[in-house]
Amino acid sequence: MTSADVPTRIPVTRTPKPGARIGSRAEALAGYAFVAVPMVLFLVLNIGSILYALYISVWKWNLRSGPVALIGTKNYTDALSDPVFLIAIKNTLYYTVLWVPITMAIGLSLAVIVNQKIRGRTFFRAAFYFPAIASSAAITTLFIFIMQPDGFFNGARAALGLNPLFNLLGFSDSQNWIGNAGTAMNSIILLNAWTTSGTFMLFYLASLQSIPSQVYEAAAIDGASASQAFWRITFPLLRPGHYFVATVAVIGGLQLFDQALIGGGVGGDPNNALMTMVLYLYNAAFRQFDFSYAAAIGIILFVVIFSATLLQRRLFGQAPSW
Amino acid sequence: MTSTTGASDLGVTVATIGDRGAIWRRRIAYTLMIAYALLMFVPFTWSVVTSFKTLPDSVRMTFIPQPFTTQGWEFAITKLDPPITTLFLNSAVIAAVITISNLALGSLAGYAFARLRFPGRELLFLVVLATLMIPDQLRLVPVYLLLNDVGLTKGFAQYIGLVVVLAIGGSSIFLLRQYFLSIPRELEEAARIDGAGFFTTFYRVMLPLAGPALSAVAILTFQGTWNGLFWPLILLQDRAHYTLPVGLLAFRTAGGFTNNWPPIMATVILATIPILILYLFFQRYFVEGVAASGVKG
Repeated sequence: MTSADVPTRIPVTRTPKPGARIGSRAEALAGYAFVAVPMVLFLVLNIGSILYALYISVWKWNLRSGPVALIGTKNYTDALSDPVFLIAIKNTLYYTVLWVPITMAIGLSLAVIVNQKIRGRTFFRAAFYFPAIASSAAITTLFIFIMQPDGFFNGARAALGLNPLFNLLGFSDSQNWIGNAGTAMNSIILLNAWTTSGTFMLFYLASLQSIPSQVYEAAAIDGASASQAFWRITFPLLRPGHYFVATVAVIGGLQLFDQALIGGGVGGDPNNALMTMVLYLYNAAFRQFDFSYAAAIGIILFVVIFSATLLQRRLFGQAPSW
Repeated sequence: MTSTTGASDLGVTVATIGDRGAIWRRRIAYTLMIAYALLMFVPFTWSVVTSFKTLPDSVRMTFIPQPFTTQGWEFAITKLDPPITTLFLNSAVIAAVITISNLALGSLAGYAFARLRFPGRELLFLVVLATLMIPDQLRLVPVYLLLNDVGLTKGFAQYIGLVVVLAIGGSSIFLLRQYFLSIPRELEEAARIDGAGFFTTFYRVMLPLAGPALSAVAILTFQGTWNGLFWPLILLQDRAHYTLPVGLLAFRTAGGFTNNWPPIMATVILATIPILILYLFFQRYFVEGVAASGVKG
């Protein structure tokens, strides 16, 4: 993102224009004044807080007592030897590994559909994005209602005669989707795939529109079918789009919190099925008030997210042009 | 089905040869698309239906409430603690303040990063980009302790603490900077030659031209803040200060409200209506804003 950004800008900034006061003192002062408030906030609350978190994490530090004793890496080793935290890591990774590709696939399909010159494309685009407008609190509450044992979902599949199929997959007629440890996380994956695929559709749509139409004209002249055009042209040319969406999705996925908290409470119920890394961190800070332990969890989370981002960069080859 | 931009024109040419298969494929595709689009609205429709039902009726698969009652709405409007009006007001004021602050700080900084030359600009812009990659959860403990040290975690100051944390987002600066970069330089050079200062040039010439980007930032920020759960949950500890999402979460476990679906659904609808209205009127800006934040240049 940044490495590609800087070189493209240098020719603009370095070109001296007649009449313009290049890099005058007044201009520099104006520049600093214009960025001052955001930069102070960022340096204290973002950059500064990483360093502060690192510092806190090597102490025994409660909200009320403040720093009590320097304990080195004990918070980290405690976390990594707590079975609940290991479950939280496992759940978070499970969620991310399933939710990201499912939501990307739906988002891309929807983008390809609304990118065509079809009747009502504005309506379809608006409809597909619609579930993304509500808050996680509202939509998760609604989802819990729909997925409860005597809820709309179970009623609808009975009415549609789909129960034999669900029974075959091992689900009872009055399956408690979020209250059952076996289906709780999968239900959250379904929920978030539904609400977020519209957002990914819009990301992909921007990418699709950057593919020149001549490429398709050439392919059509060569007799390529629609599906060949998609798999041989669209899909590979969308690589920067895939990279961006995948990066945003993985970062978001590893931070799963709202839906887990609303669906399973602070305990990530049932039976830790909805315990995620961030929920665990939240509990450490605001249930046990063990701030240094929570800070260490935050650092571990950051390392996981950062490694995942680097891994993706490696997987997708060189950094894309944006 | 799977053809894109230019290919769809050519797809029509193929279809006119009298390919009945293509016509049928098209019909099936439309049916599936309409079905999927309807599926997007079903849960919300169901919440509206349920909000007018009685509790025993709420678990029946009927689309007409039997009997039709507004008890759920009365409960949601009169019996919640804190009252829904308080939650609504908190959400509205917080979202408005944070939106205005993002517009003001974001456009000034975005303009400076796009146009003004000052030592260290690239480095500072890297800091802006870095904030987009730092997870909020990592900041939770240090930010809370910092705010606690300066007394912004108690009483009314909780609001101020929340505003300070959300006052400016890296993405607001980024979006506006990208937009300012796309505006031709000639316009502001004319103003500069006429002797206008940097702020006047920004305020009188560039800002009026940035309407679409400002709209996108306003919509995205307002929606994000209105819907946000994480920071309000942590920083607004007093019940009277709750926003709608925090209230919804609290009500899930409150006595007399848990699993009392009609009032819960009424609350869900009330929490969603303002954003729904915004979406109906400014759909274009939602779409463009999200797309622009995805293009990154």
